[in-house]
Amino acid sequence: MVDPGYPNEEGPLEKPAPEDEPAVEGAGDGYQIKLDIFEGPLDLLLFLIKKKKIGIEDIPLAVITREYLDYLHGRDRINLDREAEFLLMAALLIYIKSQILLPREQPVEPDIDPRKERPDRTEDYERVKVVSAVLRDKEEEQSTIWRRTALNVPLPEEDLDLIEVSLFDLAESFFAMMKRKQAVPQRILKTKEISVADKIREIVGALREHGFLDFLEYLDAQETLEEALVAFFCLLELIKARRVVAVQEQLFHTIKVWLRKEPAGEDA
Amino acid sequence: MDDLKNILEALIFISVEPLTMDKIKEVLDGTPEEEILQALLRLGTEMEDAPRPIRLVQTGGGWVFMTKPAYDLHVRKLLQIERRKRLSSAALEALSAVAYHQPVTQTDIMNIRGVDSTHALHTLLENKLIKISGRKDAPGRPLLYRTTEKFLTYFGLNSLEELPRETELKKILEEGNA
Repeated sequence: MVDPGYPNEEGPLEKPAPEDEPAVEGAGDGYQIKLDIFEGPLDLLLFLIKKKKIGIEDIPLAVITREYLDYLHGRDRINLDREAEFLLMAALLIYIKSQILLPREQPVEPDIDPRKERPDRTEDYERVKVVSAVLRDKEEEQSTIWRRTALNVPLPEEDLDLIEVSLFDLAESFFAMMKRKQAVPQRILKTKEISVADKIREIVGALREHGFLDFLEYLDAQETLEEALVAFFCLLELIKARRVVAVQEQLFHTIKVWLRKEPAGEDA
Repeated sequence: MDDLKNILEALIFISVEPLTMDKIKEVLDGTPEEEILQALLRLGTEMEDAPRPIRLVQTGGGWVFMTKPAYDLHVRKLLQIERRKRLSSAALEALSAVAYHQPVTQTDIMNIRGVDSTHALHTLLENKLIKISGRKDAPGRPLLYRTTEKFLTYFGLNSLEELPRETELKKILEEGNA
């Protein structure tokens, strides 16, 4: 059955995977709470309290906190996302309990039950978690079967009517696109650091998977101007190193970037 | 009779994208859909029963041949793919939110997940699992997102209908409760 609580947390796609990290983080191995009346992950506990299946009065938060801290101290590696999640839920529990325990001058309005409160997590989120787990299973299932599209389309043979494009063609289409983009108001306030090395890795990875990239489409998909610029420089860099080739099938057609069959063996 | 089955096998064999019923009907002018489906079913079971490394799969709104899991290693070696990348939990959650609430804005997704989802959405866009489908008629005219065809094929789904429905979700949630 699907465990609604914990989709696996392995190999985030965005970050380059840490080298050879052993798969010690097995399935659903979040921190488990062990109490007399409850054993399991914290979000399940929170869920049960919200549904009033467990009384918050029966949950010794000090014990949970102490054991959790011991657990953290005992680890040499911490998954920040997961621990942040734990903190959030623990804080909610404490909040709920404090609301219940504190004496009040006026009786609590009956329709405001702190147990129901979960400021930034909605019912929808519970559903999203379940669906995520279902999708994760499907992803797992799909990841071992292959169809033909997965084949690495090789660069068409030279006899095709290919036109290798010059730097000027590339730059021209790039700046034309940038102009177009500038007209669109940007709402991104915070930029993130993008390194050329990372971007190159990303581009080569994408090429390995898809065979080729549509030059403009790829740059257009970049989130910020800065990122698009970096991507552009990376492509130039890759072309210079003869690891990729930029071609047009016909004049005025889109520019496609292909991985060269044999990386020219230069410094990678 | 099994001419039809063989024709279908040939058609699917040369198709890179899942072969849709519409395409099949275009080729097999006048053959009733029912007959085609029967033939596809026969082809499927025949391939499944025979000790063949390929099976017929209905995905992304069409039919396609896929290798069986036992050959994963060899295929990856040929394609020089170390290991298939998997979506991060954040991206997967954002994707689930899009799938169930589409068309949906970034703010909606943030409200559902309770955390900023900019990066997750960006990853999904880059992987073509979601697409921008327009702008919402609301202050700020925020972009609206939808899942793509690739979303279906990526998870081996034929249509969004195959995602767990509201009632099934409730059941799963309640089971976690027991």
